[in-house]
Order: sequence, then structure tokens, then C-alpha cells
Amino acid sequence: MVEQRVGQKTIRLVRGDITEMEVDAFVFDITEDVKLGSGFGGAIQQRGGVAIQKQLDTIGSCPTGEAVVTEAGLLKASWIIHANGPKFREEDEEAKLASAVRAALARAEEKGVKRLAFPPIGTGLYQVPLDLCTRVMVDTISEHLSDGASLEEVLIVAPDDREYKPFAARIQEGA
Amino acid sequence: MSRPAKTHKVKMMEQQLAKKLTRQVVGSLVGCVHCGMCNDACHYVLAFPDDPKMTPSYKADQLRKLFKANFDWTGKAIPWWVGADKAPLTDDDLEVIKDISFGTCTNCRRCTLSCPMGVDTATLNRIMRGLLSHVGVMPEGVRVVSKDQWELGNQMGVLKEDYVDTLEWMSEELEEDLGHGEAAIPVDKAGAKIMYCINPREVKYDPRTIKEAALIFWAAGESWTMPSEGWDNTNFGLFSGDDGLGGVSARREYDKARQLGVEKIVISECGHGFRSTRCEGVNWAGEQQPVPMESAVMTMLRFIKEGRIKVDPTRNPERVTFHDSCNNARSCGFYEEPRELLKLVTMDFQEMYPNRAENYCCTGGGGAMSMSEYTPRRLESAKVKADQIRATGAKVVVTSCHNCVDGLSDLIKHYGLGCEVKQLVNLVANALVLDEVKEPEAVPAPAEIEVAPVAVASPLAGRKILVVDDEDDVRLFLTTVFEDAGAQVLTASDGDTAVAVAREHQPDLISLDLSMPGKDGVETFVELRRTPETEEIPVCVVTGHPEFRQVIYDRPVAPPEGYLGKPVDEDKLVAYAHHIIEHREAKVH
Repeated sequence: MVEQRVGQKTIRLVRGDITEMEVDAFVFDITEDVKLGSGFGGAIQQRGGVAIQKQLDTIGSCPTGEAVVTEAGLLKASWIIHANGPKFREEDEEAKLASAVRAALARAEEKGVKRLAFPPIGTGLYQVPLDLCTRVMVDTISEHLSDGASLEEVLIVAPDDREYKPFAARIQEGA
Repeated sequence: MSRPAKTHKVKMMEQQLAKKLTRQVVGSLVGCVHCGMCNDACHYVLAFPDDPKMTPSYKADQLRKLFKANFDWTGKAIPWWVGADKAPLTDDDLEVIKDISFGTCTNCRRCTLSCPMGVDTATLNRIMRGLLSHVGVMPEGVRVVSKDQWELGNQMGVLKEDYVDTLEWMSEELEEDLGHGEAAIPVDKAGAKIMYCINPREVKYDPRTIKEAALIFWAAGESWTMPSEGWDNTNFGLFSGDDGLGGVSARREYDKARQLGVEKIVISECGHGFRSTRCEGVNWAGEQQPVPMESAVMTMLRFIKEGRIKVDPTRNPERVTFHDSCNNARSCGFYEEPRELLKLVTMDFQEMYPNRAENYCCTGGGGAMSMSEYTPRRLESAKVKADQIRATGAKVVVTSCHNCVDGLSDLIKHYGLGCEVKQLVNLVANALVLDEVKEPEAVPAPAEIEVAPVAVASPLAGRKILVVDDEDDVRLFLTTVFEDAGAQVLTASDGDTAVAVAREHQPDLISLDLSMPGKDGVETFVELRRTPETEEIPVCVVTGHPEFRQVIYDRPVAPPEGYLGKPVDEDKLVAYAHHIIEHREAKVH
């Protein structure tokens, strides 16, 4: 098992489909117009029901680097934290990614979440470089957990070896 | 006049281009002498002969300008001569190039064959698409489909539970057809010899091809399985130019094959699936020792040659012709085997001309079916293909590619050719001779025994179905079929009435035509999905209309639960309706 202990807290790397995770909340990388769209967004709509998009429509928008929360409908999680990470090599992607991760962690704390799952934000369609993503995500989560967080465990859910291997290396560096 | 400053996106594209400059690519970038010999090879040029922007060299020049301006000495020394002074600088420039790269080329590579300099224009166009996709400049359909494949492992957003459910459904149908369960589809069977990978279109819109393949594997006594993951043989990275997506998609298949310990991956009839999995995927994935792979066409041909299945060509008596998928024929040199197989399972094969590697594109390749904004131009460019088909006099156009099935179906309707499209798996399954089961000898019933009337099967008993179609005869036909199957049927002849009836009566299923006057089916479908009282009612689209692509690919709302092309087969319609309703209920509960 690949994990890093941060005091009494844990960062753990797992494989799987994030929308089916048994966690209190998981993070979805959303666009500014808060439309769930395809990919994991399609899975959220099909498995979670139409209520999630309706809540997002009420929220209206989410600027890059920010995060908003909805309930998770019929999914196993209680909450979905919709974080808007950088997309398609936009400027200041490192700062925007760190900001989106911090915003997601802050929303999780506000909801009293103990187990939170993150995808590798933006490394697929949105072209965020894997090395930048692993470094920023693991370091930002680690900093947050070491800073008196009430979160107990943060999972990083890698869909493929392509993401799993670099995340495993980064997490083990800090273990 | 001074030129505008370079935008961030353009700078990112230039950085990305530096990673793509292999010796072969640079050869194609510098080799073009603009002789024009490729022009007549392109179906867009043939359809728009007076538009110089349709020429292959013009399309490739978009990338050449970027290359010359940044990586080649001629761009510094004589920029006005080599076009470097017209390289893209702004985001508006990129939008123009997007329409050229995605909207006027299907990457069919026919122009490549006619180039005396060996310039591979389709490769250059794919690189340009990749650069644009890298900075988010792409048609909406390409973005939607790519995200599905990146995140859900297949390009049509099929969830794992829906895929497995479809395989179980097909197994049940086979059991009903054969009277036993021996042909059930094995899933994740470790140690099987063959892992069969398919196109998600088969799950979503044409599951009969899965059933037919299963029947053939069973008849041949083959040890085979379908994987629960890594099952999508298609790869949108080929179309979008995203090598990252190309690698991750191909590796999912290879990894699953190694995990199951199979000897071979068999790729169902999909041109770009074959090219991506068998030929390009190993390069994108950086594979040193790929799993052996073959097309299902070769597998079926082998089964016949080895005497493992028997076929009767008289069961396919109508005249057929064969359309070569560009990816199979031009990019993989795979064109004799389908003809050999076709001649074994049909009676009247008529070649179309030109053929094999020189055949024309179906015009649906290169991801064109996912880009609904270019549909009118695509259909206009299909005239040469329509002429080819018409000249054969064939009633059936056979092809070994799912993209081609859709592209050909659209152009056949558009040009009124009056023929249908089939794949080899359809024809082989139809020609299959199974060992005959001995009929029990008839025993006359004693006269005094009364035979109880057999209960008429009513698979839709207790169900309420709304039929929406503007044509009276079609509405009557669908109503009769559903009522005969036990359903209560409501009808509507236009979109507004359909939404009103659906809101009031809450049917279990809506059968929706797409081409209606006034509010068309696509608008009606989107409104049904966006209306709170109707948003969760399952919809089965019944159409052959090209505009349907917008619903599938752009995904403005969740896609329909079912799709049937006209003319509709009665049994298939009832089976689909029954399956959709049951599947929805299982999900809700």
C-alpha cells in the first residue's frame, strides 16, 4: 500500500473509479460554467441523478482556483467538491492548481469531511503535466494535513498506471 | 503594418511542436513542392474544386508556417517566401486553423499515396490537431468524447455496469435463440486464448454485433473472453492528435490482456480501432513486447479455413460491394482478407472502383462523425463515395469499420442510394450453419384432448409508452407493435405535444423520432431532459437522421437510453423497449 503519514493523518494512493469511492466526499475537476459534462461528470450524472447538476446550476459558476460543494445524490459519498483546476496549459497553472487543491481542502473542512478523495487534477484531457501535478498535489495536501486539519485521510485515486507510478514515487519520497 | 503579439496559447503550441519533430515529420514539413498532385486524391477538393483552401497542401501549410517561423532557417532568412510571416499569432488565428484541421480533412491519407515527395499530409494534420487540442482549441464533440475516453476508459461514456449488463443481455438472447446457455459471453475468463475488444458503439447502439461474434466464437469452439475493463478498441487520440490519450487507451487493452493471460487480442471490425490497437498504440504506449493482435475479420476467415465453422453463402444472396476503411486499407495494408471472407459468405460480390488502398473515404473518418458543426460539408464531400456505391448496383455495402457504418449510412440517406450497410460479422453470422438439431417426431394428439391456448407473450404488459412521430403510418406501425407486446400506447405527432403528454402521463418510455416539422426531435429531446417532470423518463430515439450526432457527441444533456435506425425491426424494437425499461428500474431500485 502506498501511503504517507502526516502526524496522525494519512495520504493514501489507490486505483479505481473516483465516483464509486466510499468516502465522505470526492473532488471533481469542474469547468467555470459548472457543467458536469462528460467523463467523470457523465458518470456523476448517470449514477448520482439529476439533482447534482441542479445544485450546480443554482451556484452558477466557479472561477479557476476555487471550489464549490454539492450533495452527491445517489452516490456512495455524501458530498462532491467541485474544484476548478487549470486547463489546457493556461497561464500560472502551478499557482492555480495549488489554489484549487487548497480550496477543495477548505470546502471539505467546512463540511466536516474525514475521508476525502482527489483525482489527479487535470492530467488527462486538460493537459496538466504529470510531474507538476504530483508535486503540487502531494505537497499541498501534506501541508494542509500537517497544519491542524480535521481531515483524517486523503485518498488520491489514480485511474491508470500513468498517474499511479509518479504519484507513488512522490508519496513515498515523503513517507 | 506590425503584427499582433503572440498569445500564450500560441507559445504553448510552439513548445509542444518541438516535441513532435521527428525526422519523418520534418521530412514531410520540408518536402512539399506544392505541385498539386495530391489535389484530385482528396474528396473535399473533388466536392469543392474552386476552393483552394480544400487542397491537402493548404491544410498542411498551417503547420508548416508554424514550423518555418520557429524551427527552420528559411523562416528567418526568407519568411515571406515560406509563409513564416503568416504563422498564427492570436487565438482568433487558432480558431480559423481549427476549422481547417478538423473540418476539412478526415485524415484518410489518400493524398499521401499520390505525393511524389512522400509527404504524409494526414500525419501533419494530426499533429496540428494535437497542438490545438493541447491548448483546448477543438470542436465540442472532440472535447466531450476525449474526456469520456480519458476518464471512463471508452469514448462513448459507457459505465462499467451498463457494459456488463449489455453482455448479459446478449447472452440471454443467445440462450433464447439456441435453447441452451452454452454460448453465453465469458467475462474476465483468465487463461482464455482470445480477448475480444469492441467499439463502444456496439454496446450503445448496435449490440447485435456482439451477439453475432459470440455465436461465431461458440460455433468455432474457441476459448475466448471479453474483458470488464480495457475493452474499448477505439482510440480518440488518433483523431484528436493527443498521443497521451493514444498511449493510455492502448495500454489499458494490453494490460488487461496480460492480466488475463490471453494469447491474443482480437479486435472487432473497427478501422481506427485496428490501426490504433494493432499499429499505432504500441508506439504511443511505448510498448516493447506487445500482445499479439488481429482483426476479427482474420479470425473469422481462419475459422472457415480451418473447418471450425461452416457457412452457406446462399443465405446472403443479394448483391454486395465492399468499402475499404481508410485506416485498415491505406494505413495498415489490410484489404485482401475481408474480400476473401466476403466471397465465402455471399453470392454476388461486386467490387467498387477505385478500391483497396485507393478507395475513397466514407467521409466519416478522422472523428468527423463527432463534429456535428461540419455535417453539411461532410455530406457534400461524400458525393464521390455515393457515385462509387451507385455504380456497383449493390443492395448492401459491406465494411469492416463502425465509423464507416455511420458515415456510409448518412451518405446513403443523403443521396437516396436505397441500400443498407452491413459488416462482415453480420454476414458470417447469417451464413453460419449450425449442427442441425433433430426435430422430435410429431405425435398426433388424441382428438379428445383439448389443447390450452398458448399465452401470447406480452413483454411490455403494464407499461405505458409514448410514441412520437410526425408520420401517421410510422406512428400507427409503432403503436401496433407496442400494443401487440402488451403496452398501453400514447401518441404525439409533434415536439410540443410530446413534452405536454409526457409531463401529464409520465410514460415508462418515450419512442422519439428526430425529424419532425416545427420543433425537431433533437430540440424535443433536450427539452424533455431539461423539464423536471420528464427528465428521468427513458428515451429511445428511432431515426436515421444525421443531426442525431449532436446529441451523441456534443452531449448538451445526458444521452438517450436507446437508439434504433429506421426501418425498424419489430422484434428488435420490443426487445430494446423491454430492456431499457427493465434496466432503468434496476438502476432506480
